[in-house]
Amino acid sequence: MPHIEVLPNTGAAPAPGWAYVPDTGYDPSKVAFNPKDRKRQATRQGAVPTGVELSARQLTAVQRRIAELERDNDARSGIEIPNKKTTFKTSATKKILMSAKEIRHWLDDEDALLTNKAQAPGAGARAPAGRVIKPVIGARGRRGTLTATTVPSTPVQPSTPATNTPRALTPSVPAFPSSVAGSQDKTLEIRTAVPAPLDMEKLEALLAAPPLPYAAARVGPPAAGGPPQRLFCDTCGYWGRVKCLKCGARVCGLECKGKHDQSMCTRF
Amino acid sequence: MPPKGWRKAAHDPVATQTLVLDNGACTLKAGFASAAAAPSYDDCRIIPNCIAKGRDKRVYIASDLEKCTNFGEMAFRRPVERGFIVNWEAEKAIWEHEFLEGKGGLGCDPKETNLVLAEAPNCPVQLQKNCDEMVFEEFEFATYYRSIGPALNAYNDLPFSASDSPETSLLPPECLLLIDTSYSHTTITPLYNGRPIHSAIRRMSVGGKLLTNYLKELSSTRHINMLDETYLLNEIKEAVSFVSPSFKTDLERTWKGGLSDRREVDPSIVLDYVLPNYEHSAHGFARPHDPIKARRKLLQPLDGPREDILPVGNERFAVPELLFTPTDIGLQEAGLPEAIMQSLSVLPAALQAGMLANMVVVGGNSLIKGFMERLETDLRQLTPSNIPLRIARAPDPIKHTWLGGARLAHDRDILRSVVVTRAQYQERGSTWLGKWFAGGDAK
Ligand SMILES: [Zn+2]
Ligand SMILES: [Zn+2]
Repeated sequence: MPHIEVLPNTGAAPAPGWAYVPDTGYDPSKVAFNPKDRKRQATRQGAVPTGVELSARQLTAVQRRIAELERDNDARSGIEIPNKKTTFKTSATKKILMSAKEIRHWLDDEDALLTNKAQAPGAGARAPAGRVIKPVIGARGRRGTLTATTVPSTPVQPSTPATNTPRALTPSVPAFPSSVAGSQDKTLEIRTAVPAPLDMEKLEALLAAPPLPYAAARVGPPAAGGPPQRLFCDTCGYWGRVKCLKCGARVCGLECKGKHDQSMCTRF
Repeated sequence: MPPKGWRKAAHDPVATQTLVLDNGACTLKAGFASAAAAPSYDDCRIIPNCIAKGRDKRVYIASDLEKCTNFGEMAFRRPVERGFIVNWEAEKAIWEHEFLEGKGGLGCDPKETNLVLAEAPNCPVQLQKNCDEMVFEEFEFATYYRSIGPALNAYNDLPFSASDSPETSLLPPECLLLIDTSYSHTTITPLYNGRPIHSAIRRMSVGGKLLTNYLKELSSTRHINMLDETYLLNEIKEAVSFVSPSFKTDLERTWKGGLSDRREVDPSIVLDYVLPNYEHSAHGFARPHDPIKARRKLLQPLDGPREDILPVGNERFAVPELLFTPTDIGLQEAGLPEAIMQSLSVLPAALQAGMLANMVVVGGNSLIKGFMERLETDLRQLTPSNIPLRIARAPDPIKHTWLGGARLAHDRDILRSVVVTRAQYQERGSTWLGKWFAGGDAK
């Protein structure tokens, strides 16, 4: 886990969408990491569910839709504050109050900061993480190996490119290995109401572990082997049993297909 | 802990009254706490955390909205995004309007007030720093404690039946799994003796905001363009949605059938929501679906009295279903029951059972009909049957985090042990403060 620390602000105020970071000799073009490349990350994360074939265009559409559903502020709401005061008590609060950055800028900044930390020589990977955060990295290592057939018993070295990017820290496969094993297996390691005694040292390490970055705290996808993704009729919300051959949308039957062709089909 | 007698020092930097603030994206939960009286839900006010602009261009700041009767095409500016205070220009205007001004506000003098502020978990460090600087440099509060909201809940009594829990005390339970399903997202936080286990905190992207936006999207593509009616769709969501105990059955009951096999939709599920026209009615209402009236609507004259109806069928349960099956919209996240398991999987086995026996749910989505029952049923299926499950919703799930903070502030010794004074901040700066609140530095 990369150690997070506030970097001194160099030069001008950060522009929305990206951040100035100290030059450490690291060349981003050489490590093929691009925080804007949601699609590739999604693929890497296992965002493409098994059993559902999505074209690149459809995947983009799904992601655009989710982004729209997650939107906090109307794009159109340029609401000015009445009787706005233009005095600021300190230069720090002036900078904060004048800032027009949105949450995505701050999250991108955090991503960039972590990437930079992880890629800087000797950062994050070794250092204090060893003792304190070991169980977490171990768990994440398992989750990170989406396509591997064997589960590594040791933490994945965070120096491999896949685990270096903050996005890749997002849990990809649920951490409890037993759940994937078979249908008889329940998801937790507990089998009895009286579990093994508490290892106080391990517990103290857990309690001392710092908060995760925003992206890493995101919940992982459902367990592999669970029910397949459900598909619904675009027109009425019933099961999407029929696929429109022109645009790939789902409809429930002929009646909804008719409505779909009339007004909703996106490819003519 | 300060030495005995410290309180009698010439000037106590810890003020008598504390403003406790759960600064949500949709609403602020705010009120004073002091050592004098034990706090209750009644001491907490719920205030819209937004600046809104109506069709008539009139601008409403926060609680001004209570006076509004026309929410048509109302636009909202929200300072909190994804649960974090992002736009301080707007948040400052709202705080000043609600807390500092005497007229209509709480009339609070920050220099004579402590601030206990709840934040969402996993906040970017830079945003925390902005918040700390605003609190001490712009508002100049006397002392300040910033905590993740879920952790404040450890100061509340467990909402299980009285025989289960010890007498009212501020001693946090050994294990507490706090599930917060609110506007911005749904988070799961395991706490041990009141301390959050940060590496096990998990967040689902689904919250009340996403549900409202989803209902807005579905209604707009299927019936009437409602894309500018966020307020109304939120109202409809709160009025009609329920979590289905059996999604497949309910989906069948709301289907009109195919061309050759027509079906009668179940009138106990399919409703007509009569939309407010904002001239004679400020709010709408739901009634059982009437196919004749719904059809006649199309023949109503464009001017003159008319009744606009939004039919709501499977949307009633397909929308809150996202809390349990986010993949229904292609969102590759586990649903809440499995997300809880993902969080627990980080913990040693010895704690997992304790957490499952002490699950508390807060946040407005938990009020959706059927939510608690479905959560318990689904959790039961994911856990071995010999592990006892105990889960309860807080008596007031919206104000519960606030109440936890108020109970902390009511206890002077606890309050004193967690706050940072303005003098300490001025001496050591915001980077130190950030580390102190993250538990990584000595005071
Ligand atoms: Zn259909
Ligand atoms: Zn089509």
